[in-house]
Amino acid sequence: MGVFVFLPLVLPLTAWPIARLAEHRLHPRTATRLLTGVAAVMAVCSTVCLALAMVVGTAQLPGNPLPDGWSDPEVRAAVPYDEVVGKAAIPALCAVLSACGRTLWRHGRVRRRAHRALAGLRGTGVAVLPDAEPYAYALPGGRRDRVVVTTGLLRSLAPAERRALFAHERAHLAAGHHRFLLTVQLAARANPFLRPLRTAVAYTAERWADEDAAQTVGSRRTVAHAIGKAALVSRGTPVATLAGLAAPGPVPRRVAALLAPAPAVRRWPSLFTLVGLAAWGAAAGTAVSAMASANSTVTMVRILYAATPL
Amino acid sequence: MAEQRQRSRRRGQGELEALVLAALREAEGPATAGWVQQRLGGDLAYTTVITILTRLLAKGAVTRERAGRSFAWTSASDQAGLAAHRMRRVLDAESDREAVLASFVTGLGPDDERLLRELLGRPGNDGED
Repeated sequence: MGVFVFLPLVLPLTAWPIARLAEHRLHPRTATRLLTGVAAVMAVCSTVCLALAMVVGTAQLPGNPLPDGWSDPEVRAAVPYDEVVGKAAIPALCAVLSACGRTLWRHGRVRRRAHRALAGLRGTGVAVLPDAEPYAYALPGGRRDRVVVTTGLLRSLAPAERRALFAHERAHLAAGHHRFLLTVQLAARANPFLRPLRTAVAYTAERWADEDAAQTVGSRRTVAHAIGKAALVSRGTPVATLAGLAAPGPVPRRVAALLAPAPAVRRWPSLFTLVGLAAWGAAAGTAVSAMASANSTVTMVRILYAATPL
Repeated sequence: MAEQRQRSRRRGQGELEALVLAALREAEGPATAGWVQQRLGGDLAYTTVITILTRLLAKGAVTRERAGRSFAWTSASDQAGLAAHRMRRVLDAESDREAVLASFVTGLGPDDERLLRELLGRPGNDGED
């Protein structure tokens, strides 16, 4: 196994180019699915390898609960016996698992609380809340899927723009975007190198809903105006960035994308383009990651099986 | 099992608040807790009605004034208003709400507002399909 066990920890770097290029060069639906798939596989592989390194690390600790045979010199020679890495893997895996657990728990808690807050309202698909603060979001919940929007936001939009807003939120619910977002959040917790993919998917999922909304209402410009107006009335939540270094935020980029022609729907880009190269690079990275972790797992299981007195 | 009971109890609180508020809105003018209890068909204990009214008071959904030895209650907002209040509390408690709920728009950066106004101010000859 040797170095193979550490490859999946750094292979997420191969997905950085596509995470950067997908926003402009791929259809948002393709980009969301591709990046989420890559992130999910790489996160699982990286966690498996962390767990393998942790077993090695734990077997070295005095008084560990593992079979004594696992710390024999022959086993140490066969596994990548590196005291520092093995022991560092123990807190790292604990941190990953607790961070993922916290993310899941928080996700469930916010959804539960939001549904409970709406208890008592009639069970329609749209909950209009009389509130001056302008906000809107899609609240997933299976058959209890709901679009939540405040009168403060609706007041600032023209009728056609309101239709665009509802179409956007319904597109989130219909395509189950919350699952993509949760997946990339968990992946980013499992391996910090996957964070650019989380940022990219958060953006492409919004773009996907924008494009669906543009199709539903039949006007890209209306959707662009709805987003722009909504952002301008709810600008009370400034993003913390340094003024001098600020690149255009997600909202102006979405508006600009909607004011440009619709993106082409391509299943998979050609290898001989920059984005094709990046996509194939990420795919290759994912494949190597999967093979390396499978290889390490099989090797490890065989070594430990041989070392366990039965 | 216990968890399920817990959940139904908690969901019950929101529904009970909505019930009490709906009853109070049917009253012509201020009503006493006893009146609300009768209006709800006597399913709830008097103390429960008082508890729920007190909770609604804390949320600003009802007001009360002293009437003799007890209070007279008036509804200040309807059920949608109550739901709005509860939703605000859910969102305010979540420092990073964007991480969980996909909002329609996210916050604007320092230059975003100017950029956005420029984009929206352009004549409408581009990108229309």
